[in-house]
Amino acid sequence: MTHILLLEDLPEIRVWLKALALQVFPQAQITEAARVHDAREQISAQRFDLALVDLGLPDGSGVEVVAALREAQPEAQSVVVTIHDDDDHLFPALQAGAFGYLLKEQSREQLAEQLKRISQGEPPLSPSIARRVIQYFAAQQRSQFREKTPLMPGVTLTERENEVLLRVAKGYTLPEIGVQLNLSRHTIADYVKQIYRKLNVSSRAEVALEAQRLGLFRR
Amino acid sequence: MLRLALLLAALAALAGLAGPAGGADEAALLTLRQAQVLSVPAPTLAPPDGGHYTPQALPDDWTGPSGPGEQVRWYRFDFDPPPVPAATLLAVYLPRVCSNLEVHLNGQLLYRGGRLREPVTRNCYRSQLIALPAGLLSASGNRLDIQVVGFALPRVSGRQRAGGLSEVIVGPHALLADRHERQVFWNVTLAQIIAATLVMVGVVMLALAWVRRAGYLFYFGVVAVGWALLSSRVWWRDIPLAHGTLELLSCIAFVPLSVCALLFLLRYCGVTSRRLDLALWSQCLLLPALLLALGPERLFTGAAICYSLLALEVFVTIGYFLAHAWRTRREEFWLLGSILGLVAVVVAIEVGIQDRVFDLPQVHVMHFAIPVLFCALAFRLVQTFAQALTTAEAARQQLEQRVHEISAEIERNFSHLAEVRVEQVAEKERKRIAADLHDDLGAKLLTIVHTSTDERISTLARDALEEMRLSVRGIAGKPVQLADALADWRAETVSRLGDAGIEIEWQSSEPATPRTLAARSYVQTTRVLREATSNLIKHSGASRAVVQVKVDEEFQLVIRDNGRGIPLELDGRLDRGHGMASMKQRAKQMQGQCLVESGPGYGTVIRLTLPL
Repeated sequence: MTHILLLEDLPEIRVWLKALALQVFPQAQITEAARVHDAREQISAQRFDLALVDLGLPDGSGVEVVAALREAQPEAQSVVVTIHDDDDHLFPALQAGAFGYLLKEQSREQLAEQLKRISQGEPPLSPSIARRVIQYFAAQQRSQFREKTPLMPGVTLTERENEVLLRVAKGYTLPEIGVQLNLSRHTIADYVKQIYRKLNVSSRAEVALEAQRLGLFRR
Repeated sequence: MLRLALLLAALAALAGLAGPAGGADEAALLTLRQAQVLSVPAPTLAPPDGGHYTPQALPDDWTGPSGPGEQVRWYRFDFDPPPVPAATLLAVYLPRVCSNLEVHLNGQLLYRGGRLREPVTRNCYRSQLIALPAGLLSASGNRLDIQVVGFALPRVSGRQRAGGLSEVIVGPHALLADRHERQVFWNVTLAQIIAATLVMVGVVMLALAWVRRAGYLFYFGVVAVGWALLSSRVWWRDIPLAHGTLELLSCIAFVPLSVCALLFLLRYCGVTSRRLDLALWSQCLLLPALLLALGPERLFTGAAICYSLLALEVFVTIGYFLAHAWRTRREEFWLLGSILGLVAVVVAIEVGIQDRVFDLPQVHVMHFAIPVLFCALAFRLVQTFAQALTTAEAARQQLEQRVHEISAEIERNFSHLAEVRVEQVAEKERKRIAADLHDDLGAKLLTIVHTSTDERISTLARDALEEMRLSVRGIAGKPVQLADALADWRAETVSRLGDAGIEIEWQSSEPATPRTLAARSYVQTTRVLREATSNLIKHSGASRAVVQVKVDEEFQLVIRDNGRGIPLELDGRLDRGHGMASMKQRAKQMQGQCLVESGPGYGTVIRLTLPL
């Protein structure tokens, strides 16, 4: 039995998204929410396996919900469902721990296919997102080098992960990269998953460090 | 250097003027160098008859010791008037008589120079010219009696003021008046003029010193004013003070004056030593004490000691000063050196006169040479000051210029900041509009996309949504790196065609240098490519496609497929499903062009060319 949290403020879209989720996961039990506040309550009330989160909500951003879920239920997967396809909107959600994104205007078939892939551990990665990730890790490394803090374990990219990112940034698709590097589709997907995970861990560590520096760390 | 030469020339000219006149008329002059002299205890009204006169050569300087109070001597001359044309007024000329005199001719009182009793009128610095009335003169055997009242050398503090009588000259009045006037001019009138000048210079210096808080200028001003005051005894004949007091005071006054001169030189060199100052100032007590201890009968000895000591100090200080100037202010050395050298020479001559190394001259160099040199020095000081002022003003102007530049720069920076701010505000506004569009229009279109049962409406709504998103990106966007744009296009196209099962070959050359694409061009090109890809997937039936991107002077995108091409019967309503017209329209908007080549069985080639 799959528990899905569906956060979307527009009722029609919510109905339609629910249908999409049931198409991919016919056995799923779906909890609906229209606001960030409701979603937070649901998160503290029960366990979820998957969350479909809209970004622009009346009382806040879906990024908060993504972060809250990552914090409360690390094993749950958050998928951002949005109309914004640009990295400016997506990147913060990915940093907060989202494990992929769906673009709302795509056809139902495409969305179903992508959702299935995400749930199977194959999140999408566009060139612009890849470029942002590369920039982010480069900046991290620079600041750590500058401040002479030891590199945080588990948050630096391996050479292979870097290789994959660079190729995605240049416009190659994941299957193409698999062929180029002579790797299976699953291995490439694993690299992408690792990149997402490290992005989240590193961002969280960064936030913690920043809070510590400002004396706001209260735990 | 030029100034120095001029100064020397001026001094030489003065010396020439001061010399004795030519001897053309010497024959008309009778010079009496022998007299009968009689000392009396007090001034008498008439020449004492029957007294015991003794012969005396002239000039007669009263050098011997004497009692307190004034001394009185009667000089008697018997002479025949020199042979002169008739009706020529004769006169008697005395180059020097000190302190005062009374002249009798043939028993008649002819002239009195002022008071004969204390305080005796002081005529020591001026010559005397007394006209001889023709009515009193006989052709021969005239008797001239001159009563001189004065003080012996030991009781004065300067040899110029010791009692005495020079030779007596009888001759035509016109001739002697000339000599007399010259003598008075050089010794008295010039001293007055210079004293006035010196007072002005001194006051200016004191004012400068007060304003600038410059110690050396203060000392210089004090010396100048002090010297002018001290030299007043040259022309002020009836100072209401007893002789002994005045002589003592004028000697004592020299001490602080010299100390100030020394301090001026030292301060000008930058020497400030409390001990040295104290030592110098202590002389103001010690030397007067010495003079008092020696007593009025040895005043001249004491004064000579004082003058010599002070002159020695002045020489040493000038030497030090010049050595310092040579080390630090080479350009000033020659000017200052010559001025101070002349000062030293003049002082040396004066001390020599006092110590009787030299004879008493008729013209007193000290009284005009030193003030002239003072003025030269003052001129130099003012010049230095003016130079410093000019430099300071130039510096101030430079500073103002700099401030002006900096404020201009600040203004520029400020306006730049304002521009940036405006841009930021505009950017924020664009983002707000974009967000609104997304949230309102986007949400509605999205609802249509996903709720419409009609596939056609759903597709139209999706297209509209996509259009809107790209538009928003166009207005909100910054220029896109061409390499990034190529990557985005490749990823999307390859992914879509791959999903549709069409083999795709992407050929693109990375631009050698980073280039950017305007946001609008990026958006329009994305639409054209997307449209072409959709057509390819939906209508062409192709199994293979090639996309070529070339970037050089212009941007060229070629999409080629091996499909059936656009069938003839479709050509008439080409735009309905294929969007060829909109592609061309978009290309036109970007000042580019979009060409479509197609034929049944040959596939389709779409060429988009844009200027970069």
